[in-house]
Amino acid sequence: MTEIKFRLNGVPVTMESDPNRRLLDVLREDFEMTGVKEGCGEGECGACAVLLDHEIVNSCSVPLANCINKDIVTIEGFAKTSRYKVIKNAFEEEGAVQCGFCTPGMMIASESLLNKNPNPSDQEIKIGLSGNLCRCTGYAMIIKAIQKASKDGDGLW
Amino acid sequence: MGDISNSIKKTDSDEKISGSAIYVADIKMDGMLHAITLRSTICHGEIKTITFPDIPEGYHIVSAKDVPGRNVVKIIFDDQPVFTEKDITYLEEPILLVIGPDKEVVQDILNQIVVEYIEKDPVFDWVNSAVNYHFDKGSGIKAFEHAHKVIAFDYETGYQEQAYIEPQGFLGYMDGEKVTLIGSIQCPYYVKNAVIDALGTDPDNVRVIQPSIGGAFGGKEEFPSLMACQLAVAVQKIGQPIQLLYEREEDMLVTTKRHPSKIHFEAAMSEHNEILGFKTYCAIDAGANIGLSGVVLARALIACTGAYTINNLDVSGDVFITNTVPNGAFRGFGAPQMYFAIEMFMEHIALELDLDPLEFRMNNLAKQGDNTSTNGTFRDPIIMDEMIIKAMEISDYKNKRKLYDDTNSYKGIGMSFFFHGCGFTGSGEATHIKAKVKLRKEKTGKVQILVAAVDMGQGIRTTLRKVVSHILEIPIDDVIFNFPDTDLVPDSGPTVASRTIMIVGGLIARATREMKERWMETEFTVEKQYVQPDYIKYDEATFQGDAYPAYSWGINIVEVEVDKYTYQVKLQHTWSVYDVGKAIDERIVIGQADGGLTQGIAYGYLEVMTHELGKIKQKNMTDYIIPTAMDTNKMDTVIYENPYAFGPYGAKGVGELTLVGGAPAVAYAIEQAIKRKVFKIPATPEYLMELVKNDRN
Amino acid sequence: MVKTVIPSSLIEALEYLSNEQYRFVAGGTDMLIQYHNRSLLPIAFKDNIMYIAHIPELLSVTEDDENIYIGACEPLEALLKNDLVPQLLKDTILEMASPAIRHTGTLGGNVGNASPAGDSLVPMYLLNTLIEVRSKHSTRRLRIQDFIQGVRKIDLHPDEIISRIIINKLEFTKASFVKVGPRLSDAISKVSFAGAITLVNGVVDDLRFAFGAVNITVVRRPDIECLYINKSLEELKASIDEIIEKYKPYIKPIDDQRSNKEYRTTVSINLLRGFIEEL
Repeated sequence: MTEIKFRLNGVPVTMESDPNRRLLDVLREDFEMTGVKEGCGEGECGACAVLLDHEIVNSCSVPLANCINKDIVTIEGFAKTSRYKVIKNAFEEEGAVQCGFCTPGMMIASESLLNKNPNPSDQEIKIGLSGNLCRCTGYAMIIKAIQKASKDGDGLW
Repeated sequence: MGDISNSIKKTDSDEKISGSAIYVADIKMDGMLHAITLRSTICHGEIKTITFPDIPEGYHIVSAKDVPGRNVVKIIFDDQPVFTEKDITYLEEPILLVIGPDKEVVQDILNQIVVEYIEKDPVFDWVNSAVNYHFDKGSGIKAFEHAHKVIAFDYETGYQEQAYIEPQGFLGYMDGEKVTLIGSIQCPYYVKNAVIDALGTDPDNVRVIQPSIGGAFGGKEEFPSLMACQLAVAVQKIGQPIQLLYEREEDMLVTTKRHPSKIHFEAAMSEHNEILGFKTYCAIDAGANIGLSGVVLARALIACTGAYTINNLDVSGDVFITNTVPNGAFRGFGAPQMYFAIEMFMEHIALELDLDPLEFRMNNLAKQGDNTSTNGTFRDPIIMDEMIIKAMEISDYKNKRKLYDDTNSYKGIGMSFFFHGCGFTGSGEATHIKAKVKLRKEKTGKVQILVAAVDMGQGIRTTLRKVVSHILEIPIDDVIFNFPDTDLVPDSGPTVASRTIMIVGGLIARATREMKERWMETEFTVEKQYVQPDYIKYDEATFQGDAYPAYSWGINIVEVEVDKYTYQVKLQHTWSVYDVGKAIDERIVIGQADGGLTQGIAYGYLEVMTHELGKIKQKNMTDYIIPTAMDTNKMDTVIYENPYAFGPYGAKGVGELTLVGGAPAVAYAIEQAIKRKVFKIPATPEYLMELVKNDRN
Repeated sequence: MVKTVIPSSLIEALEYLSNEQYRFVAGGTDMLIQYHNRSLLPIAFKDNIMYIAHIPELLSVTEDDENIYIGACEPLEALLKNDLVPQLLKDTILEMASPAIRHTGTLGGNVGNASPAGDSLVPMYLLNTLIEVRSKHSTRRLRIQDFIQGVRKIDLHPDEIISRIIINKLEFTKASFVKVGPRLSDAISKVSFAGAITLVNGVVDDLRFAFGAVNITVVRRPDIECLYINKSLEELKASIDEIIEKYKPYIKPIDDQRSNKEYRTTVSINLLRGFIEEL
């Protein structure tokens, strides 16, 4: 057991836990952030994606030890921001949500991308999404949604 | 109200985007235990002994001897046990569950259990046929007696794994005497009926609830019944809530996949290049038990003429049993295999005879009034001619086809024609399912839809409500459609076979029209049951009659570039035109089309799954390759209206149609790019390299 | 019982190492998969673990006149944006994995893992990279081809840690990396290839090739390359078949769930041919 301090969705957290636990399990079990999904457990599908210091990471591949003093934002935290509202609106209008299991991860990927590149090309969007698997949509409407969010959110990123 | 096709915001967008939608793994209950499955480590043989370590207090083993009812998972044949008692028929066959509060301890116990086997030689060759079908149309094989030329080719298709992003799982608990199961499933009543049988109990003692589910594509059609029976037995025995969730690797190794197939085609051709008749033979690998394989084979055989009319047919097929993981339902259900083969065959016939393949195919396209492969009739208008013109126009098909033929550009463009029979084959709806729906008007004026249909991403929580809202002319927010709960909803049948909008939606529309007439009543429920239109007659045993009440039609055009150094296929652009009768929500239909086409194309060139000595080699998302965003390119879709009288607002089936044509379209494009014939899918770079090197043309 | 330590400085880390052996976890993307456990359970490590991703001395990219010094734990995605990092290495990193994995993955991790299919190893071999390793009492610098000895085998003493990746500042007329994976991102390579050439007045001044995923380690043969120094570009192109024959004995791939020997052999040769043909 080790003392681990980090910030979760803006709130400082101190916990005594096994540093060898996966961040994914800590988020889902200890903090009930069930918006963070387990799709593959091996860093391929991106359903477990969260922002770590504002960059997308797969929480199934991040040990708790690597969260010390970091800023972690899950979909639950991101959902409280105005950037989220713009992306959410775009996803809805473009039909980018089907079964929804990849969706929180896609939202995180969108924010991670737009935060660095507010006006991405289609190719840059695809690169930004390249670690998030979707089996329902064929990606087309998700890509259009991010294009739309980028235009609608002019100034936000 | 406007045109129902006009897209609206989906009901469940908010909860899914915000991460608050509840999937089975998100549900926790007090005192919940974890279950892990112990599985066989051999492909074929018998269990000789099982030696257990000391089992700590609070931990349990649940196995065959705990099954109170029949130790059978009720699907069609009694050929799959809930837990095997002795016989092992495939690697990873489930033997028992280890259950307890601490997952680490459960895993530890499992690792200490020693199973001794008597091994038998496994059979991987396709030699043991469990189901054989044969039917004729017209003069059958006699058509070959007058053949000027006989052309024959063989085709092969591989496994395809559904790879839904949410792995399979259930939560089970006791509610008094009632076993309650919450699961990632397509068919609540399939699960309920299987569990009733395994527990040997009354229907009232089993309740099945569907939460949000993360994709299914057929993989959660019949497979979950096995998990549900195992869990139900455990929950009833132990009396505490139990969670049974599969890890991804486990899911990939043990759940059902698309049947691999080998298809042989022969064409009897006249002197004037007319098709006198076809002989078709289709073999599929069922894996260790039949399950739904007979139905998959039936659909494949019925699809043996593709989008064409062929007057004389000799059609046969076998379901082979091998000591490999049992295969099952996957979007398309036998049609994707056959459409690859028939489309390639038509083109290969033309090439053999020095004919223009497109002209040859178009001359043989089915028309309204033609007899189907099973001597049914295409009663409804077929608008493929207009759709083809449109497809070729938006893609610039003819110019590109010529350009890529003339140059050594390693580029190609291909166009596939296909249809999908909507609903259960033949009289399935009338004799097996007998779908029932309920529609309830509440005192508040709100209307509730009560059906067992599952929204697995295809948007029925939105589209079925649209149907009701439009007919009653009430706001869509006044129409309620909660997650199916077998305590509350009638059996409207499984969410499969592209039947939900057409059949269930059709029943809902009828119920709604009655409700509209009775609207002045304060509070009442309308019930409707499926009645087969009189003229749809089908004999399952002889494959004669109208196999389906309606057909949706489609065209896919795929443009590719093949890398001349690496033989990798890069998609450039796709264009699709579909006739689904009427789109209940255009954006939802196009979303389904995008997803289905992506799966269909990937089936054709990208997704590789093989087994070696009965073990699946691609057992995780790293090794089983599905498309990422980087693998996709522009997709354009046009939807045509061609209303079907018995579908709500004229709607026909959508779900599977959009997967069926992708593989032949990409295979055609690849053929043009590398100037070689393609006979098997997935058309991997390794296969293309062989084709190019061997100079077969 | 395995020990887990999270040192806050390199000195602390080296002190631990002087007493006991540890396996290192940098970003975790490789280690957490290698020691994958069931959902909810902690990672199934079998050895003592030292977490190093945050150690300041292992982060940073610096330079002097001759070399670039990349901290072993500097995340891959950060290297994409650093002007000091050679373009060839950046081109490679962009083909690797996915943004999420690049945000935590590291070159130190890639080198330590020594996978035959490791993409970043290919340009590093081509660029004559040195691997700097440190213990409490010493610093060694080894050529990457000496440091990586086989599949997941490295010349790292029990008390040592990979501290920096040292790359000579080099300019080429043309340098490119090609990854051949089963799909266009997020994939383990079937084959990878890097080629670099410097031409001065149409004459070959420097020529380098490196192949990944076709042998137990990256294939780099300076003994073949040097035969073509001072040849003209035309002579080089005319020698393609000869060059290919010389490389064939070293291209020895395997069959596995991703691909087969024939494909890997043919494609790596095609990539070599293509690089030269397109000069």
